Amino acid sequence: MLLANNISFYRNNNIIFKDVSLALPPQKIINITGANGIGKTTLLKILTHVLIPKKGNIFWNGKNIKKNLFNYYKDVTFVMDKQTSNINLSVIENIFFWKKLFSSIISKKEIDAILDLLSLDNYRNTPINYLSNGEIKKLELTRLVIEQKKLWMLDEPYIGLDIETINLLNETFINHTKSGGMIIFSSHYVPDIPNIENLQLENYAQR
Amino acid sequence: MHSVNSILALFYRELKISYRNFSDILSILMFFLLGILIFVFSIGPNTEIFNEIGIGVIWTLILLSNNLSLRKFYQNDFNDGSIILLHMSGLSYELIVLIKIMIIWIFLQLPFFIIIPLAAILLNIELPNVNLILISFLIGSPILTSIASISGSMNLLNQRNFAIGSVIIMILSIPIIIFSVGIINASEEIVRAQLQILIGILFFFLAITPWVSAACIKLAIQNK
Amino acid sequence: MLTPLIILSVIALTTGLVFAFYLSPNDYQQGSTVRIMYVHVPSAWLALLTFFIMTVYSIIGLAFKTPFSFIVNAAVAPIGATFTLICLITGSLWGKPMWGTWWVWDARLTSVAILFMLYLIIIFLKNSFTNDSLGEKITAIFIIVGSINLPIIKFSVDWWNTLHQPASISKLSSPSIDPSMMRPLIIMTIAFTLIALIIAIIRIKAEISERKLKN
Repeated sequence: MLLANNISFYRNNNIIFKDVSLALPPQKIINITGANGIGKTTLLKILTHVLIPKKGNIFWNGKNIKKNLFNYYKDVTFVMDKQTSNINLSVIENIFFWKKLFSSIISKKEIDAILDLLSLDNYRNTPINYLSNGEIKKLELTRLVIEQKKLWMLDEPYIGLDIETINLLNETFINHTKSGGMIIFSSHYVPDIPNIENLQLENYAQR
Repeated sequence: MHSVNSILALFYRELKISYRNFSDILSILMFFLLGILIFVFSIGPNTEIFNEIGIGVIWTLILLSNNLSLRKFYQNDFNDGSIILLHMSGLSYELIVLIKIMIIWIFLQLPFFIIIPLAAILLNIELPNVNLILISFLIGSPILTSIASISGSMNLLNQRNFAIGSVIIMILSIPIIIFSVGIINASEEIVRAQLQILIGILFFFLAITPWVSAACIKLAIQNK
Repeated sequence: MLTPLIILSVIALTTGLVFAFYLSPNDYQQGSTVRIMYVHVPSAWLALLTFFIMTVYSIIGLAFKTPFSFIVNAAVAPIGATFTLICLITGSLWGKPMWGTWWVWDARLTSVAILFMLYLIIIFLKNSFTNDSLGEKITAIFIIVGSINLPIIKFSVDWWNTLHQPASISKLSSPSIDPSMMRPLIIMTIAFTLIALIIAIIRIKAEISERKLKN
């Protein structure tokens, strides 16, 4: 269960947002919405302790993430709006790197299945620089399944994806929550998933 | 906290990337050799002068070649978000810095053990002096890589002044060149003393570099 | 706050200059050119003092996140740089009649030249970041790294100098100074410190106003 209490963030003494609170229990999905520049990415970075809020605390399973950071990270996958796959490595090399980096126990068969599902199977051994932006984005999303973690955080996951992949992603989200996971993401796009809670950041922003 | 798998995963990834970018390493070696060439052109082919200044020229060029590794350290991983990913896999920033320094030392400094004797041949430097150069390079090169790491981490978000990173490397490298060149043609006690001072400087930089580089990386991440 | 300081510094400066030019003796070797020392040495002292102050405030600023520390750093860095430059120029002017050249690679002059470059790096580094608060923090880290390296650099330059010039003794550092020369030296040092303090206060006030304006 992820709990955020009264998060306030300032930049150069200007308030970006104030007193944001949220609760993310298992099987729940939260969508952070808001206009460009309102602070959606900032909030996600605060929730992953990449940025430090001016006020407020974040708790994972009852423990403050500030004091318990690496235990918190063991349960979080953060897919950013950037692509962390390395251009010098092929698709499968990036996947194996992530697998080893996060000590994942995902099997080779499951990896093959994912690649097949995302139609990346033909590109297994292709260096990343030969893929299109959308395909690189799809590769980045495989991290969700490879890292095998409970809490998924995504920043604008739908940008650049074709309809087939969007449906696939929604399906993956639903399956993840069914098996006890939780998801929080920021998006302009309203996905076709039932029971999403919307967090409208405009309500907390001071612009 | 730090799992061996994560450390090895990063290590192998960096090895693979460096190996695939081998032309980068060869270019730095070429820079060094071209520098020697330029010195020869500027001074003239008089071999007697080389006996006196050859060693200084070699060390100066080692220092200058170190500048070329400045952007290799963290810039790419910072730009594409990998550095956050690495942190979230359980590796502390200090450990990431240490692994990066090791890899860059292996690929960008180790080849100099072959190139320095080559340059010494070109400049007619005698064999015992070549050994002394290699010994001081063995101690001095990790210091140079650490200095480049500090400068590289400081300049992650520097968008206005591209030269200041190299300037920082040069000014911090002054003691290393003084003590490394100083052991040539010196008596044995002085050689020992200077090598001990170099080792002291090495331990000092190995101690502060992970901390300073990690602090600068964290600052850059928070201020992107 | 400034007026008593200004009065004090005027008194100190006039006293010091009177002593320096009239009431102190000539050096038996250098003649009256030794009087450059009365500007050269206080400048050197101020150059080092300013660096020390910047180091202290950098540590405080990074540890306790007080914005005032970074304001002091920004205000005081050019003052230190200027006094280092004065030290270099007066050192060069002093050296010309003695050694016949404008520059000599004396250990002390070389170290001061490196100190001057450190000051310039600090000023340039701070201005090379578009994000001001990041720039001042990175510069503070560099100041701390630089200040730890400063004794190492000074030690290595001294070593290098003695290695290459074992016999010469630097005329710029006399082994003992006669009290008749020490008195004007101290007065001039106090005068310079007061002047630097006045300029620092003015610059700090200006820096605070500038930051208020930016926000």
